[in-house]
Amino acid sequence: MDCSYFRERINLYIDGEMGYLEVAELQAHLSFCPDCAAELAQVGAVRGALAAWGRLELATSPGFAERVMAAVELEPAPGLRKPFGRVVADTLQTLDDALGRIPLPGGRTIPVKNVIGWGLAVAAVAIGLGRRHGRRSRELRPL
Amino acid sequence: MATSNLHKWASLPDPSPAELARAAEGDAQAFKLIVERYQGMVHSVAYNVLGNHTDAEDAAQEAFLRCYRKLSQFRGEATFSTWLFRLALSVSVDYKRREKHHPEPVETPDLAAEAAPQLGEGIDAVTIVAALHDLPEDYRVPTVLRDVYGLPYQEIAETTGRPLGTVKVMVHRGRASLRLKLRAEGAGPEQGLAGARPRSDA
Repeated sequence: MDCSYFRERINLYIDGEMGYLEVAELQAHLSFCPDCAAELAQVGAVRGALAAWGRLELATSPGFAERVMAAVELEPAPGLRKPFGRVVADTLQTLDDALGRIPLPGGRTIPVKNVIGWGLAVAAVAIGLGRRHGRRSRELRPL
Repeated sequence: MATSNLHKWASLPDPSPAELARAAEGDAQAFKLIVERYQGMVHSVAYNVLGNHTDAEDAAQEAFLRCYRKLSQFRGEATFSTWLFRLALSVSVDYKRREKHHPEPVETPDLAAEAAPQLGEGIDAVTIVAALHDLPEDYRVPTVLRDVYGLPYQEIAETTGRPLGTVKVMVHRGRASLRLKLRAEGAGPEQGLAGARPRSDA
């Protein structure tokens, strides 16, 4: 009997990846084919042993925990490590606290750092435009 | 490594939220308790993925360092042991990928055969570890992840960075190799591995 069709499906059966018609077909074959039934039992036994092995743990070599802790000691404390975004936010908050706020009509205020920031941005744009204008003027100057 | 040092890790109690919080804030003593409690589990995961104790200890140390750095991100959505297990698995697979071009010779596991725990159906720990070691590298990791740790195929594909179909084929071939290896050694159930007739008899 050519059992190759069914033997290829034993893994799918074990993994629960077959439809019920395929399962019924395989089970019918297994009921009268001792070789395929034995192969299923063997693969099942191997899987059972592997799963049991996975529930056991191996001992580490002596002093492992101490070596890990020596490496941990070289690390900055977890609480001291901040994500980049948090560092930026904290720096801006510190600037806010240091520079204060400008009162506006209507009781509103605006942070000094924002005013400085906008000022720097406008200055950068103005310098860029100025350079571009200067370059263009030089290019158009008659030789 | 003696088999008397083998024990079940699944029954380890998780650290309390207070212990975890202290460790996350940088309390070295609290973190050391975590290392002592889970070192066997983390080392076992690394050993089963990497196949030798030297690499396994390096990877286990790396896993604990990553755990220390990320502990404040642990939200308790899974149990701590599950979270650490996944972390150890991920670090071990990364380590394997990184060291791929510098393979080390496989170590013979130092388990005392006479004291090896039975894993069921006539298969003991020494036999299964030796059979795992003999598997080709490409088959061992997916087979370990699937059948030793019960990960779904999709997760194995994501963890190892291989296509889903390839992972399934590797696991199927890994199982076939293990079955043949164990049958050759006469291990297994009476009507299964040890008692089976060779396929040519069929």
